[in-house]
Amino acid sequence: MTRLGIMSFAHLHADFYATAIAGLDDVEVAGVWDDNADRGREKAAEYDTRFFPTPEELFAPENEIQGAIVTSENINHKRDVLAAAEGGVDILCEKPISVSVEDAQVMIDECDRAGVQLMISFPCRYSPAFGRLLEMVREGDLGEILCIKGTNRGENPGGWFNDPELAGGGAIIDHTVHVVDMMRTMLEEEVVKVYAEIDTLFDPDLPCDDAGILSMNFEGGCMATLDASWSRPDNYPIWGDVTMAVIGTGGNAWADLFVERVDVWRVTDGTYLWEPYGHDANAEMIADFARCVETGAPVPITGFDGLKAMEVALGAYRSAEINEPVGLPLA
Amino acid sequence: MLSVAICGAGGLGRNHAENFDQIPDTEVTLVYDVVDEAAEALAEDVVARPAEQESDLWGDDVDIVVVTTPTPFHHDYTVKAAQAGKHVFCEKPMCRDMEQAEEMLQAVEEAGVTFMVGHVLRFFAEYVRARKLILDGVIGDVGIARTSRINTLPGGPESWFSNYEMSGGVTLDMTIHDFDWLLWTFGPAERVYSLGVPERMPPIDYGLTTIRFESGVIAHCEGSWADLGQFRTHFDIAGTDGLLRHSSTDMPTLTVQRRGEQEGVAAVQVPESPAAKSPYLLEDEHFVQCVLNGTQPAVSGEDARAAVEVALAALESNESHGEVIEL
Repeated sequence: MTRLGIMSFAHLHADFYATAIAGLDDVEVAGVWDDNADRGREKAAEYDTRFFPTPEELFAPENEIQGAIVTSENINHKRDVLAAAEGGVDILCEKPISVSVEDAQVMIDECDRAGVQLMISFPCRYSPAFGRLLEMVREGDLGEILCIKGTNRGENPGGWFNDPELAGGGAIIDHTVHVVDMMRTMLEEEVVKVYAEIDTLFDPDLPCDDAGILSMNFEGGCMATLDASWSRPDNYPIWGDVTMAVIGTGGNAWADLFVERVDVWRVTDGTYLWEPYGHDANAEMIADFARCVETGAPVPITGFDGLKAMEVALGAYRSAEINEPVGLPLA
Repeated sequence: MLSVAICGAGGLGRNHAENFDQIPDTEVTLVYDVVDEAAEALAEDVVARPAEQESDLWGDDVDIVVVTTPTPFHHDYTVKAAQAGKHVFCEKPMCRDMEQAEEMLQAVEEAGVTFMVGHVLRFFAEYVRARKLILDGVIGDVGIARTSRINTLPGGPESWFSNYEMSGGVTLDMTIHDFDWLLWTFGPAERVYSLGVPERMPPIDYGLTTIRFESGVIAHCEGSWADLGQFRTHFDIAGTDGLLRHSSTDMPTLTVQRRGEQEGVAAVQVPESPAAKSPYLLEDEHFVQCVLNGTQPAVSGEDARAAVEVALAALESNESHGEVIEL
C-alpha cells in the first residue's frame, strides 16, 4: 500500500485526486495537511484520513508517508514542495509548477538536493487519445508536423484563481501549460518564441486576465496557437475542453480529449449536461506516481517539464504587455 | 434586361453565369477568358457568345462585367470595365496588393458605376443569423471570436491557387471570407499576427491568424488548404453573457450515401443543407438590385479593401516571421 499525503485542498483537483485514490486498491490517502485547518480537518474526515496541523507532523517518520500531492494555490507550490522535500518524500505538484522561473528552479534544485522526485500534474499525458497521437507523431505517421491549433478553454473557476497574488495570473497561467506540455512532448522540442493577445474580456470586473490566444514557434519550425481562455459560459454542459488539430506533411489529426460523453437533459433543474465516461486520466496519473514512489522509477513528467510549460505562459504575459513576440527561454 | 459579361471562365465564373441567367433582370451574353476553349465551353453551356478579344468586354452591348479571373488580374479588368462605364461584380479577394485596391476604388468612384466584391458570407444564413444575435446582444460583449474554414488545395497542384505570388495562399484567398465577416460584425481591426506555411504549396497551406479589433475583441482564424476531407466551416463566438457556435458538418439537413460497385461499400457520402436559393444566387440578386436602383451594395468597396488589408497584414506578419502588423 502506497501512503500519500495531500498538502492543501485549495485546488479543486485535490478532490479529484483523493476520489481517484479511493478507487485504487494499493494507494491510500494517509494524511492531510492544509494551511486552512478547518478545510483540512473537513477534508480529512471526508476522505477518512487524519489531519496534521503542520507539514512536519504530516511527514513525521511514524506516519510512513511516502509521497506528497501538492494542491495548494499556485503561489504556495514552492512553499509546500520545499516542505515535502524536507520531509523526504516524492512529490506530485499541481500545475503550473510555480509562478516564476526562479522559484521553479529552486523547487527542482531543492528536490534534487533532498534526493526526492518532483512530478508535475499533467493528466492529459495519460489520455489514450493523446497517447495514440503521440505514437503516430513519433513514428512519423503524420510526416513533418507543420502546425498545431490547440484549445484549453474553460469556465472561470473563480475563487483564488482570480487573485493574481495567489495564482500568479489568470486564465493564461491556468490554461497554457496542459496543451504546451502535450505539444512539447509530441515534438520533443521547446518553444522559442511566443506572441499573445491577453485581456480581461468575459468578466470586466476581474482583477486578472480571462481571455488569451498564444502564437508559438517551436525550435524545429513547427508553429502553433493556443486558446487558453475562460471563455466557456457558466451554463456550458461541461467544464471546458482540451483539443489539438495537428497538421503534418503526411496527414492531419484532431484530438478532442473530453468529447466522450452521454448527453443529459434534466427537467428537474432545466440543465443540459455532458456526462463524461470512460477513461479517468487522473486515476492513471496517480497510480503512475504511486508506482514511481514505490519502485523508485523515474517520474515521467519532471519539474523541468513543468518549468518549460510555465515559462511559455510567463512569456505570453510579457508579450501581451509589449505587443511584441518574446523569445524563450526568458532572459 | 441587363447584359452580363463573364470575365474568367473558371469555377466561379460558371457559378455566377448560371445565377445571372436565372435572375429575370439579367442575361449572360458574353464570356471572355484568356483561354479560348474555356470561354467557348462556358459560353455554349449558358447560351452566350464567346468573346473574340478582350475589348469585346467594353462593348456597348455589355452592362455588367463579372470578374472571376485569378486574383492579380481583378484590378486590371475592374479598372478597364469601370472606365468603359460597366457595373462590376468582382470575386474576392478584391486584389493582390493595396495599390491595386486604391486604384480600383478610384476607378469605380470616378465612373460612378456599381461595384461589389463577392464576400458571400454576407449571404450565408448561419453567418447572417450569428451576426444578428451578436448585434442584438444575445451573448453580451464578445471577447473571443474563433473561425475555421477548411478545404483541400483548390484546383489541384497545377492550379494558380498554388502560386503564392498570385493567390496569396489560403489566408488571402479563403480566410478573407472570415476576415470580412469579422470586420462587418466587430468593426475595424487594430493589429494582426499570423503563422502559416504557404511555402508548402502544393499541396499544403495552413494559416492561423490572430486579430485584435479596436473594440477589444480578439479573433482567431484558422484557414486550411491542408485538409483531405470535405469542405467545412466552424465558428465559436464567446461573450460576457454566453456563447454562439456553428459547425457546417454537424447539422446537414440531408445526407446521401450512394452504393458503390463493391457490395456494401459506399462510393461516397455527401451531407448537404439544400437551401431554396444558394448564397451565391442571393449575392448576385442583391448586386442586380443595386445596379437597377442605384443603391450601395451590402459589401462596399471600402469593406472589400479593409478585408484585403487584414489579409495582407497576415501575410506580412507570417513572411516576417514574427512582426505584429499595426493597421
